[in-house]
Parts: sequence; C-alpha cells; structure tokens
Amino acid sequence: MAFIGLDAEKYDRKYNDIDLFKRIYKYFRIYKRKIMIVVLLLTIASLIESFLPILITLALNSLQTGLNTQYLVTIIIISLFFNASSFIINYFQQINISKAIGNVILDIRKEANDSILEHDLSFFDKNPSGKIVSRINTDSQEFGRALELFMEVLSSVFIVIFYTFIMFFLNLFLSLIFMIMIPAFFIVAILFMKAARRRTLLGQRATASVNAFVKETYSGIQIAKTFSQEKKLFNRFDQVNQQSYKVNLKRAFLLNTIFPSLGFIQAFVLTLIIYFGGISFFEGSIPIGSLNLFIQGSWLLTFPIFSIASFWPQLQAGLASAERIFSLIDTNPKVIQIDNIKPKNFKGKIEFKDLTFEYEDNKKVFENFSLSIEPGESIAIVGHTGAGKSSLANLITRFYEFQSGDILVDGLSIRKYDLSEYRKKIGIISQTPFLWGDTIENNIRYCCKNASETDILDSLEKTGGSEWIDDLPNGLETNIRERGTLLSMGQRQLIVLARVLLENPSILILDEATASIDPFTETKIQEALEKVIKNRTSIIIAHRLSTIRHVDRIVVLKKGKIVEEGNHQFLMSKGGLYAKLYNTYFRHQSYEYLEKIKELK
Amino acid sequence: MSNLKRSNNNTKVEFSIENDPFINFRDKSPSRWILAHILNGSNKTNICIVLITTIIAAMLSSTLMIIVGETINDLLLGKESALLINILLILIIGIGAPLMRIGNFMLREVIAQRIERDTRKEFYLNLLGKSQSFHDQQKIGDLMARTTNDVRMLNYLISPALSLIIESFTSLIIPLGYIVIFYPPELVIIPLIFIFTFIVALRDYIKKIGPITEKLRGDFGEMNIVLNESISGITLIKSTVQEAREKHKYLMTIKGYRDAFVEQGKVQAKYVPILLLALMNTVSLAHAIILFLNNSMTIGQIIGYLGLLSEFRFPTFISFFVFAIIKLAGAGAKRLLELMNKKTEIDENLEGESRKIIGNIEFENVSFYYPGFKNRVLQNISFKIKQGQTLAIVGTTGSGKTTLTKLITRLYDVSEGRILIDNIDIRKYILKSLRSQVSYIEQDVFLFSNSIIDNISFGKKASFEEVRNAAILAQAHDFISSLPKSYDSEIGERGIQLSGGERQRIALARAFLVNPRILILDDSTSAIDSKTEDEIQKAINKIEENRTTIIITHRLSQIRWADLIIVLKSGKVVAQGTHEYLIENSPEYRKIFIKKFDLEEDKLITRSGRK
Repeated sequence: MAFIGLDAEKYDRKYNDIDLFKRIYKYFRIYKRKIMIVVLLLTIASLIESFLPILITLALNSLQTGLNTQYLVTIIIISLFFNASSFIINYFQQINISKAIGNVILDIRKEANDSILEHDLSFFDKNPSGKIVSRINTDSQEFGRALELFMEVLSSVFIVIFYTFIMFFLNLFLSLIFMIMIPAFFIVAILFMKAARRRTLLGQRATASVNAFVKETYSGIQIAKTFSQEKKLFNRFDQVNQQSYKVNLKRAFLLNTIFPSLGFIQAFVLTLIIYFGGISFFEGSIPIGSLNLFIQGSWLLTFPIFSIASFWPQLQAGLASAERIFSLIDTNPKVIQIDNIKPKNFKGKIEFKDLTFEYEDNKKVFENFSLSIEPGESIAIVGHTGAGKSSLANLITRFYEFQSGDILVDGLSIRKYDLSEYRKKIGIISQTPFLWGDTIENNIRYCCKNASETDILDSLEKTGGSEWIDDLPNGLETNIRERGTLLSMGQRQLIVLARVLLENPSILILDEATASIDPFTETKIQEALEKVIKNRTSIIIAHRLSTIRHVDRIVVLKKGKIVEEGNHQFLMSKGGLYAKLYNTYFRHQSYEYLEKIKELK
Repeated sequence: MSNLKRSNNNTKVEFSIENDPFINFRDKSPSRWILAHILNGSNKTNICIVLITTIIAAMLSSTLMIIVGETINDLLLGKESALLINILLILIIGIGAPLMRIGNFMLREVIAQRIERDTRKEFYLNLLGKSQSFHDQQKIGDLMARTTNDVRMLNYLISPALSLIIESFTSLIIPLGYIVIFYPPELVIIPLIFIFTFIVALRDYIKKIGPITEKLRGDFGEMNIVLNESISGITLIKSTVQEAREKHKYLMTIKGYRDAFVEQGKVQAKYVPILLLALMNTVSLAHAIILFLNNSMTIGQIIGYLGLLSEFRFPTFISFFVFAIIKLAGAGAKRLLELMNKKTEIDENLEGESRKIIGNIEFENVSFYYPGFKNRVLQNISFKIKQGQTLAIVGTTGSGKTTLTKLITRLYDVSEGRILIDNIDIRKYILKSLRSQVSYIEQDVFLFSNSIIDNISFGKKASFEEVRNAAILAQAHDFISSLPKSYDSEIGERGIQLSGGERQRIALARAFLVNPRILILDDSTSAIDSKTEDEIQKAINKIEENRTTIIITHRLSQIRWADLIIVLKSGKVVAQGTHEYLIENSPEYRKIFIKKFDLEEDKLITRSGRK
C-alpha cells in the first residue's frame, strides 16, 4: 500500500545486544540496592502466589478423604495471612520499582539533554529538533519501562517454575501434558509479535502521514483562506485520514486475536488435563484436590507464560529505544578545546591563518584562507551567497570546527581558550534572530541575569529609541509569543541588537538578516550599529550592503577567497566585484533604473 | 439544512460542508458529544452485537466453570461413562468463548477506529472554518496535540476502556447469577460484599490517581516545550553561554515529572481491590467448606464456585488503568470541544453578494484592534483607489501595513468604519466570492511540501500549459526548468530548498493562475544579484497590469511609480499622495529617501522626483 508522503525511516542497529545490556545495566546499577530489594520481594511474592493453590488442594483433599476441622481452620488462617502479606510485599515492591524507574528515566534524560547542549551546530544540522525531542522525552520512557518489563518477566518465571515444580511433584504424567501449553504459547507469541510489529509500523506511518499533513495545513491556513481552497485541503485530509483508519483497523484486528488464540490453546489443554486427570483419578493415582491444581493451573499460568513468551520481542522494542538515545549521547563533538585558558578582556586582534574548512566532506568552504583584523577595527564581509561569509562567523564563535590552519584571537589559538569564557567575550547576532516566548524585557536580559531595568532601557535607547515598544499592549512586559511572532522582522532585530548591547562584548559579529527591513527601521539599525562598532573589533557579514559604508575595511569574498579589500571609496573607484555588487544592490534605487523599470517587461 | 445550522449559536464559520451530523452536540457536555459519536450511523447495530457477544462470552465462561465442577462431581461419584461427554462439552464451550470474543473485539475496534477518524475529521473541518485571528492565537504544537493525541484518546475510550468496563460488568454480574441459580444462594453474600467494597475502594483510588495522572501529562507537555525551545535557540544559548541555565530549566521539569511518577507508583501500590479479591477468595472458600460440612454442597460445586469467583480477577486488575483512560479521554474531548466552540467572527455569508469585482477600493474611516486588546492597530484610515491602479504602502516596522492589507481579504474584519469594493461593503460579499477575486501574497511565502506544479495550481485546477504560462509570466519558468525534476520537484524538507526570491515568484505564478481582480503583495525580499532583481521587477510589473494592486514594499522602484502612496506611522496615515507630491510635502516620506540617498553620491531620487 502506498503511503502519502511517508516512507520508513531507515534505522540501522549500531550496537550489539551485549554492549547494549552492559550499558543499560550501568544506569540501573546506581539503584542496585532498590532493585535487589525488589527482586527479593518479588521472589517471595511469587512463592506465595504459587503456594496459595496448594492450600486449596490440601483443603479439597482433606474434604475428600476425611474431615479434620482444625486442619481446615489452619489452612484458612494461613491463607488469609499469606494474602495479606502478599499485598504488603507488593506494596513495597511497587514503591521501590517506581522510584528506581523514575530516577533512571530522570538520569538518562538529564544526560541526554546535557550532552546535546554541548554538541556543536553540525549536530543540529543533522538531527531535526522533533527527532531529538522524541528521543529524549519519549524513548527514555520506553527505556525505563524495560525495567518494569524485566521485573514482570522475572516474577512470571518464578511463578511458572514454582508452580511446575509443584505439579511435577504431584503427578508427572499430567505435568507433561500440561507442558504442551508452553511451546504452544511461544509459537503464538512469536508469530503474532512478528505480524503485529509490521502492522504497527504501517499503522504508525499512516498516523504520521495524517499528522504531517495536518501540521502543514495548519501552518498554511492563511493561504487556504486567501485562495478559498479549504475544500481542497479537506478532501486531501479526508483521504489520508481514511487511509489511516483502514490501516489502523487492520492492525487492531490482528492484535485483538492474540488473546482469543491463547484461549483456544487453554481450552485444549484443559480438556486434555481433565480427560487424562479423570482417568488417573479412576485409577486412584491422583486425589481430587491435586487434579484441581492442574485445572487451576491452566488459568493461573496463562499470563505468566505469555509474558515470558513475548518478553524477547517486547524487549527488542525497548532496546531500540535505548539505542536511539545512546546514539544521540554518543555523537562525538567535533569542536574540541585543547586547553582552558580564561581570557580577561580581549583587545580584539583576530587572525585567520591558512584556514581550511568544510561542512561536509570534500566540499571545501575555505582553503588556505588568511585574514588579519586589528583590535578595534570594524570590517565588513561582502560577497555572493555561498562565498563563505556566514561560515566565518560560525568559525570564530566555535560553532563549527575547522580542519586545518588556525584562528588566533589576541595571538592565541581559539582552541586554547576556555570555551564559555571565550564566548562570553564575543557577541553574535545571527542571521535569523531567535527570541523566547517570553516578555521583551526577559528576552533582552537573557545574557545577563542581573541587568537592571535601567540597563535594559539604556540598551534599547541605543538601538534608536523604544517608542515602538510603548505601542505594544504591555510595553516591555509584552509576551512576544513563540519565537517572537508577535513582532515584525525588523522589531525582532532591534530586540536582538539590544540584547547584544547589554552583553557589551569585546568582539562583535553581526550576521545580517537577508530579509530586508522597512527603510525607517533600517535607518535606525544603521545608526545604532555605527555607535556599537566604535572601539570594538566588529565583523559585519553584510547581506544587504546598506550597513557597511562606515566600516574601516570591506573584505570581498568569492568562493572562500578574498578577491578585494579596502574601504568603500577605494573599492568603488576600483570598479571590481564590490562595485558591481554594490551597484546591483542599490540599482533599484537609482534614477536610471527607475526610468528603465517602466519598460521592463 | 440551513435552519439546522443556524440552530446552534456557534456556527459562524468560514468554511463548512453539507453534512455535519454532530453540529448540535458540540455545545452540549463532552460526554453527550462523545455519545453522539458512539451512536452515529451503523454503530448502533455494532454496539448491540458487541453487548450481546460480551454477555454470551461471559455466560460461556461461567458455564465452563459449572461444568468443570460437575465433571469433578461425576468423577467423585465414579461415573466413568460421563467423562467423555463432559470433556467434549468443556472443549466446545472452551473454544466457543474465545470465538465470541474475536467477533466482539473486531466490532468494538470498528467503532473505536471510526470515532477516531470521525472526530478528527470534525475537528479538522471545524478548524478550517475558523477565522485567521483565531489561528493567529494558536500554537501549532498545541493544535497538533489535539488533532493527534486527544482524538486518539477517544479511540482508546471505546477500545479498550468502555469495552472493558462492559466486560467487567458482565463478568461481575453473570457469575453472581450463576451462583444463585446453581449453588446454595447464600454463597452470593461474600462476593456481594466484595463487589460493594471493591466499588468503594475503586472510587477512592480514582480520586487519588486522577490529579497525579493529570500532572504527569502536564509535566510531559512542559518537557517538550522546554526542550523544543532550547533546541530552536541553540545558537543564542551557545553564544551567550547559557547552557547551564537551559540544563537547569530542563532538569527542573524532568524532576517534576519524576516526582509525579513516583507519586503515581505509590498510589498504585496501594490499590486495595487486589487485597479485597484475595481476602474474598479465602473467606468464600471457608464459607463453601462450612456449607460442605453441612452437606449442602459437593466438592465439585466448591471447585465450580471457586472457578466462578476467579472471573472477578479480570475486573479487579483492569479497572486499574481503565479509569485513567476514561479520564484522559474526557479531558481530551473537553479540549477538542473547547477549541471547536470558540467563537469566530467571520461567516461564510452564503446569501451574500457574488458579483464580479471590477477593482475600486475605498477605506472609510477604518480602525482595527485585535480582539481583547485596547490599542488600535489602525486608526481612522481613509483612502480610495480606482480599478487598475497601484497603491504603495510604506511605513515603519509595526506601523500596521500588513494588518491593513489583511482587512481587505477579511482575514480580519474591521473594528470600525468600512471597506468598500466597487462601492459595496466587503462584508456583504459571499466570503468565497470575495477571496477568490482578491489574491494575497504574504511576506513569508508559504509553500506546501508538494511539487512545484501543485503549489502553483493551488488556487485553481489547471492544465500543465496554464501552469507553465503562469510561471513564465511570473519569471519563474527559467529557474523551475533548470531543476532536475522541473515542475515536479518537491519543495520542502525532503525536497529542494528555494530562495526567498524564488518562493516569491512561485507565489506570483500562483496568483497569475487565479487571475484575481485585486492583488495584494507584501513584498519584502531583497535580491542581491541583478538578474533576480530584474526578474522580480518584471513579474511585478506584469502582474500590476490590468488589475488593482496594493503593494507593501521598500523597493523605491515600486513606490516611485505607484498611483497612490500612503505613509503609515503607528497605525495612522500621516501622508498620502503621489511620489512628487509627497517629496514636496511630507517630511516623513522624505526621511526615508534622504537616508537612502546619503549613500548614493550622485543619483538621488529626490532629484528625479523633482524632474
């Protein structure tokens, strides 16, 4: 069956089972004591559970042979005692187990989250956020359940062993007949699990394609409205929804036949037991109470046997979850510091020396790239898309690791600094400004917890005034929603700028947004920048070319190489690539172009 | 049908289909609404069959116990000849019960899966009909959670939850009946006491577990939000060295989750019904032995009796989680209804005007504020443009430009004043008719992750020739043809990534194909290379021909030649007129240009304006 828009995610197991078990064991080892207690309690509980039917057997046998009231009363009292203690044991067992599981889940979530936050950006390029979130939050839960599963199967094993032991003790022949149940259950469990897994996978995929469709159309609802195409979306939705219905129904059908199938086996075993048990009874080789124990066994042992039979396939699902998290944690960070020198304040000299860098193998962005920036100098990097402009910013901030050559800040390789201290001295405004779904005030304050409101207003003032904020419903306190969607692009940039100003870094890197901003805001940002870049080393990755006339030096990049450098006047008079870029960019504002545009068809 | 629709006060929708059987149940309680879904269509027959098969299956199980007891009695009486008949009966009944269950399970799954399908459909349809201002306030993640998880909970509500409750109920009642009929009636006393205490204990348990389950769910949601956000903001976190803070934030939420999880374990460990069941088994055995000693019972009957009581195991153990599902499903249904019943301002207006639009637009004292906010986003806007003219809107970030244009397609409705198209208030048009004649190209062009051809023909079914022509007019044909799969290239995560300029031209092609009388273009992309720039200019020039165009732009080339320019500031029109007029008379307008021309040494537009 063809699915609309979703193929199976390829997933290769990288770890073998033994390694995986060893690793999982490490997480549980911390709670060894709790787990040992649970195992102990569980053994006792299983013993009691297997022992209770014997009491009934003894009672029935005594009723059959002759009456001993005191004997019967003792049996009842012991039985009451056992039942009560079984409840108490179960209570402690449960509490310990949920503590252990709760903590293991906590530990692994913490570890996974800690590790991903330390990864460099190449990790996030490879792993979409949805995948990371589901691995950390959902797979960890499955991982914790593995312990639950394990305990359940352990208890089942104990019960089955104790009970069969008793049965063998009572009657060998009937026990052997009874044993038919075990392989039969295993066969059913394995057959069903295999089919069920396939159907479940299909079901999940069908559900996922509904989700993907729905998600996308919610995002694009405005388009549907403006083109009046709701009907079209609805019809397509109906199609994927119906498909999901069919596939999931098939899956449910299959899953629902498992237990009735076990019922058939149960009925056969019961019939055989009663038949052969009856004959043995007539021969006098088994008392009635003992026969009853076999009959009861066919009901009591159903679930324990089935849970043992289905343990392995179920465990596999748990192992896959474990593996997904481990592979997240185990991704090797590429950015590695070789020393932890804590810089005081940077003067701000930056040198790129024979730098080679590639995001992917054999797609070099820079090769033998060299550039030196003096303390306090402001430079602009200009060039076509793909020239490597943003990569420079990504390298200085250590978001990505370079392959060879070196980058020196104040004469020392940036690999040698303590990364946190180093980054604190560098302010970066990235191309797509990120804002939290929080108030404006908290967004600006993000870098510096202790900043006062005056500091915040100050830095806002430096961006060219905060009147526009007063127009918002709650001023600085306005919650700007997920990623700042309440604000326009230009407003978001002003906030980000204010944030960096508050941080007051020694080196500033500005990766301009590509989307252009209205002329008023653009002017504001320019003026603010002029102030900001004074007296600190600044690198402006210019996409819009309107911000760069006041920088000390313009560096023009082409395919990872510097082709021109100098100030605006010099480069314009030179008439090279920069002049060409500049004229193109501003051409649409020039008089000739305006006249020409009328004829442009 | 129309009357039926109006009978519900929440029926203002922008889109609906003919057949919506649940419309009158949505303003009722969640359980009433779910019931309407359960009883929908052919489900009724299925439910009857489910009920009957459940009862028969329970009867078969109980009968089996009685027969086993009788078989034992026959053994004790030495009736060798009866053995074969007895085991034959046991085999038949033993197989009959699971057979019944298979049929039963299948049908209940049909009901359950149908409810999932139908409620999702209802919900989706409903959201399609909600206004844009409604959608602006929703988080996609939250909508998704409702469309997927909450809807699925309704499935689980039927199967297993409600089905298991019915099954539990029958496996409590039917054994009791059998006891009364086949065995000394006083044997029913202890099981009855059990059932009574069981219900009391269960209620207590549910009361305790409910809030914890709720908290667990809430915490899990919180975990997802925190993690998602910190991944989205990873660059910021790293550059401001706030990893520790983010780790701490997440640690707090997962600790909350852990505590709730342990708490849940504690409450579950105290699940008293299991103790009650065990005690009942022993006491009943004692009771039966006493009856045996009084000669009112046989050993076979004791075994049969104990067998019947073992049927109680099922309800005792499953009630454990069944009620959690019911609770979740109830909460889910509430969340679904909550959104579906949110009032929305704009109606399809099916009885309205559907005439062909010529393209005269007039704003009459239009003001707008978002519902719930006092600040007016737009204040007393008035202007007029004639058919075929071009209006350019300029203004600062946040001055209300985009909002203004969204009023024209009624993505939002004006709060005060009115907008006239061809001298008719736009609220008098049939919504579909208005929107299909007015196209809107948004700032961040949204493209579906489909093929390019599907995206271009989104607004109108079209032949390949038509799509190609539209793409040619939009200057998109060349770059589309250069793609490996040309028009069939998939866009999006799994396909090709397009630049802003390319996306915009696809959106323009989409508009060309619909050929609207009025076009609104929120244009903000800037292209660096001249080829792209020219192409976009060409496409925009083309599309402005023969239609009324409203354009938000910073391209001076577009502003320069507009028939009317309005300058917005904080939601007010501070100046309007042609370029020549504004350069002379508006300091606000001049400000934009003078700044720009500082950069250009000699080619100032200001001069060109005075030429």
